[in-house]
Amino acid sequence: MTTVAPLLAARGASKAFFGNPVLRGVSIALQPGRVHALLGENGAGKSTLINLLSGALRPDGGEIEVDGRAVPRMTPALARQAGIAVVQQELSLTASLSIAENIGLGAYPKRFGLIDYNELAARAKAACALVGLNEPLSTPVGQLALGRRQMVEIAKALYRMPRVLILDEPTSSLSATETKILTDLLERLRGEGIAILYISHRLNEVMALCQHVTVLKDGTCTADRSLQGTDAAGLVRLMVGRDPGDLFPQWQPSASPASAISVRGFSAGLMRDVDLDIRAGEVLGVGGLVGQGQEDLLLGLYGAIPAKAASAVVNGASGLPGGVPKANALGLAYVPADRKREGLHLIHPILTNMMLPAFARLPALKLRSRKTERETGKSLAAQLAIKGDLQRPAQALSGGNQQKVALAKWMPHDPLVLLLNDPTRGVDVETKREIYLMLRGFAAAGKAVVLLSSDTPELVHLCDRVAVVREGRITATLERAALSEEAIVSAAMGAEKQKVAA
Amino acid sequence: MTAWNDSTGGIRASAILKSRPFLTLAIVAAVWIAASFVSRGFGAYGHLRYLVELGAVIGLVAAGQTFVVIAGGIDLSVAAIVTVSAISLPLLSWQADPTGLVSILAVLALTTIIGVVNGLGVALLRVHPMIMTLAMATFLQGLLIIIAGGSAVTAENPLVHWLGNARPAGVPAGIILWVAVSAIVLTVMHATPFGARIFAMGANPLAASLSGVPVTSTTLAVYGISGFTAGLAGVLVLGMNGQGYVGIGDPYLLASIAAVVLGGTSILGGLGTYAGTIPGAVLLVTITALITVVNASPGWRSILFGSLILGLLLLSGREQARR
Amino acid sequence: MSMVPSAKSAGALYWPVQARRNIGVRSLFLVVLAFLVAYGVLFPGLFTASGFAKFTQSWFPLALVAMAQAILMLTGGISLAIGATVSLGAVIAATTMAGPLGVAGGVAIVVLAGLGIGAATGFIVVKLRLPAIVVTLAGSFIIGGAALLILPRPGGAIPAWLSDLLAGDTPAAFVLLVVIVLLWKLYLATPLGLSLYAAGENPVGAYRSGVPVDAARVAAYAISGLLSTGAGLFVAAQTGSGDPVIGTAFTLNSIAAAVLGGIGFLGGQGTMRGALAGSLLLSLMISVMFFLGFTPVAQYVAQGLIIIGAVAIPQFRKVQP
Repeated sequence: MTTVAPLLAARGASKAFFGNPVLRGVSIALQPGRVHALLGENGAGKSTLINLLSGALRPDGGEIEVDGRAVPRMTPALARQAGIAVVQQELSLTASLSIAENIGLGAYPKRFGLIDYNELAARAKAACALVGLNEPLSTPVGQLALGRRQMVEIAKALYRMPRVLILDEPTSSLSATETKILTDLLERLRGEGIAILYISHRLNEVMALCQHVTVLKDGTCTADRSLQGTDAAGLVRLMVGRDPGDLFPQWQPSASPASAISVRGFSAGLMRDVDLDIRAGEVLGVGGLVGQGQEDLLLGLYGAIPAKAASAVVNGASGLPGGVPKANALGLAYVPADRKREGLHLIHPILTNMMLPAFARLPALKLRSRKTERETGKSLAAQLAIKGDLQRPAQALSGGNQQKVALAKWMPHDPLVLLLNDPTRGVDVETKREIYLMLRGFAAAGKAVVLLSSDTPELVHLCDRVAVVREGRITATLERAALSEEAIVSAAMGAEKQKVAA
Repeated sequence: MTAWNDSTGGIRASAILKSRPFLTLAIVAAVWIAASFVSRGFGAYGHLRYLVELGAVIGLVAAGQTFVVIAGGIDLSVAAIVTVSAISLPLLSWQADPTGLVSILAVLALTTIIGVVNGLGVALLRVHPMIMTLAMATFLQGLLIIIAGGSAVTAENPLVHWLGNARPAGVPAGIILWVAVSAIVLTVMHATPFGARIFAMGANPLAASLSGVPVTSTTLAVYGISGFTAGLAGVLVLGMNGQGYVGIGDPYLLASIAAVVLGGTSILGGLGTYAGTIPGAVLLVTITALITVVNASPGWRSILFGSLILGLLLLSGREQARR
Repeated sequence: MSMVPSAKSAGALYWPVQARRNIGVRSLFLVVLAFLVAYGVLFPGLFTASGFAKFTQSWFPLALVAMAQAILMLTGGISLAIGATVSLGAVIAATTMAGPLGVAGGVAIVVLAGLGIGAATGFIVVKLRLPAIVVTLAGSFIIGGAALLILPRPGGAIPAWLSDLLAGDTPAAFVLLVVIVLLWKLYLATPLGLSLYAAGENPVGAYRSGVPVDAARVAAYAISGLLSTGAGLFVAAQTGSGDPVIGTAFTLNSIAAAVLGGIGFLGGQGTMRGALAGSLLLSLMISVMFFLGFTPVAQYVAQGLIIIGAVAIPQFRKVQP
């Protein structure tokens, strides 16, 4: 089997951004008729590897090979010619164009120099049929839900009749039915001799669908083997480099009866009519499927989006803050999920980023003291183990360190309530551990921590209580004794009632 | 460029030498030296002083523009505001105000309010800055013609006359005013929390607001400052000219934006300094003066001016792609 | 109005796609219709042949510059040199057409100048990665200077027959506009044309999909230049002569019309039919104010207020829950 030249391969590929090595000597070979899993934690270098394979990035060292021949200057155009199609996590769709126009984008059938809409309709329809998209082809993509857009993206890849199909977390926003359609489809494509690279965090999917696995950890390849004879726990060990249990610190409950935030009939964004108590000294988890309104809950409490409540007490003051400066004054701090878009000023120095909340609350025209700022920055950096010159722009930092800066900037203000939106997304394991320790430390110091997370183990192992959100309501509040991944997931899916009945 | 993105640490000599403001300053010096060889009289003290005095008007308008651009906006109404100031001041002069100070303050209050209205449109109504300020300019242009008609109005304000003509210790009052304003602007921009908020807003407004920066009031302040400095420039230009007329401010729109960009401030916001805008303004008047020396027709003058700005941009104004 | 078929690509997909694009601009169409009715009541002459001709002639240049601005804004760009380019088109027309080159030669030079200026601007913005707003600002000086060189003061001439044809008692302006809209539909039915949207809204995704993003953007600048000089030619025909600063007001008006028509600043948002409706609305407002006896000055004031209002009110509604 290994005598067949791989359709697409990387040999000893390396890549660094802003001096941070992201990939170090990684090799991978995609064979025809095989679904190849690529596993690794967020930030392990998976997306970078895909970008190298598809020509979107050029490796600093090593080679990309197509049909066993090295391609020294791989470009997206060459990759397309070689029959490589990529379904990226970040969609390549245009909201104002129709489904069909998006599917054909960049490869329209032509007649007399014009787009042949009849031919496009026929071919796009065929691609849509494969993925079970039955919306009218003329529907603008902007009107579709996220899961349906993902299916359009997959149809777009299939439209090009690829020999190599690379899918980067294609199921993260898909419903169960859509996921089933996709896995069936991939089985069939594999039977037709297509090489498939499949990236997913859902290990059961990987175990069911794939034959071969490559595991990345911190930019190096830790496994390249057949999936036969492995189990999910073994895969996790390969990804994390330790037993999953070690990741979380040991901790004692430190919750006090004092309430930090108490709201009744709270509504904001998707959240409708929610009652919630957050106690001082606890870590309250917020879980649920993606996009059920969890983020609106945090943003509403923080005053960043319009919110109303029948009654509310925030750190002793009655009424919702109604604005971010007011919320800060009441001792609330918020760490957003999307560091690059919402959390940091990437082009500004690390130090300036750390000082921003201070700048926001100091009197506007008071003279700044550069010396104090430097000292504050230094002590924060020491406290959180952020290395290097603080005058470098924040974009020079790795994801984990960026997250630390996003946390660090609130520390000088000693917030009473920390609202954290998925703080460990795209963060390496070491930093994760540090962040977990820090969070429990805050709780032990009597602060309230609200941890919104898409990572269920995090909720189970770190939280005193977990509020599960579904369709804009808190459908369950699980106490520590009742916490398990299964309990959270079933509450998130709305399955717990049936279960009790059964 | 990074050396000037509101650096918080100590400023090192090498960083200054590599910085955009210094580069712009070096270009000005080079042009002055070259021009004084070619054209006798160009390098004379009196002529250079005159150039800087002309630069003061652009520099004042560009002070507010620098704030607005760093905050991520743009103010296309500055020319109209300069005209408003230069025309309404003569109309406001009255007997009970012998020094003329009260009427100047009244006019500056008026132009500041105009700026704040721009800010209200941008921050609260969420109108794109370009549309808001262009519409404001259109509105003001109409209003001005109604108020002043087509004729020029003469200022009889002692303080304005002094500003435009006096030379205490041999330095034109306009330059003294510019130096004072520059000192204040640079302090506010780089040494106060307000300045830091502006940089943060321009680089990433969402992250700034989630960090507690009061975005609405800061936006109002920024456009208000732009209205104020444009008004101040109008007072100065009225003093230097003796008369105000509709259209007196027109040259200063493009000049203010060009001075900001030539000085190394990013048109995308979040990076820059007024320290670059100052030599940028002097560079602009120098270019204009050179073109006058060449004695070309208005058409050639305009082409030369545009080409030189474009050339300087190519030399130094490349924006790095940002996402 | 802009729903005219393009002959080659009719089909079961093409028409539904076109129909879907109306959704965002329906309310705008209603407002335009209301203004048209109001205008018709105030000025019944609109429904005579000469009234209709006059009306479309006053709209035509504005429609062209609105399209010129909209095509750039769709790709995420902008031009502050539209007014200067209109002026240049006008003076080229006025200095060539009455001379030995004749009308055909003059038109050819106007077309080449527009395409060339646009392509050069596009090249500088797209390939050299300079901010469009500053490049076109500097460009407006260069282009305006060129116009002054060609014709330092108002003058030149347009052959009388051409003026009569374009700006006399004929529906020529309307017919031309229909032809231009048809050509636009045709362009949008080419792969390069449709790429405009993807290049403006999601350039990274478009690049990864194999869209020639840079080519689409440079082409947009070239077409924009062509439409601008074309508007200049028409303005020259209307006045019978050239004027090196006649186009100045078109810069603001082109942006205003495009924004009124729902084109966004971020690229990929809006439709050309919206921009055309926006230009019609602006043109109607100017005409109605003129008819109501507003002085040109009061028109300025009202125009400023209306533009802010039109842009702000929908935004304001969005903010209110």
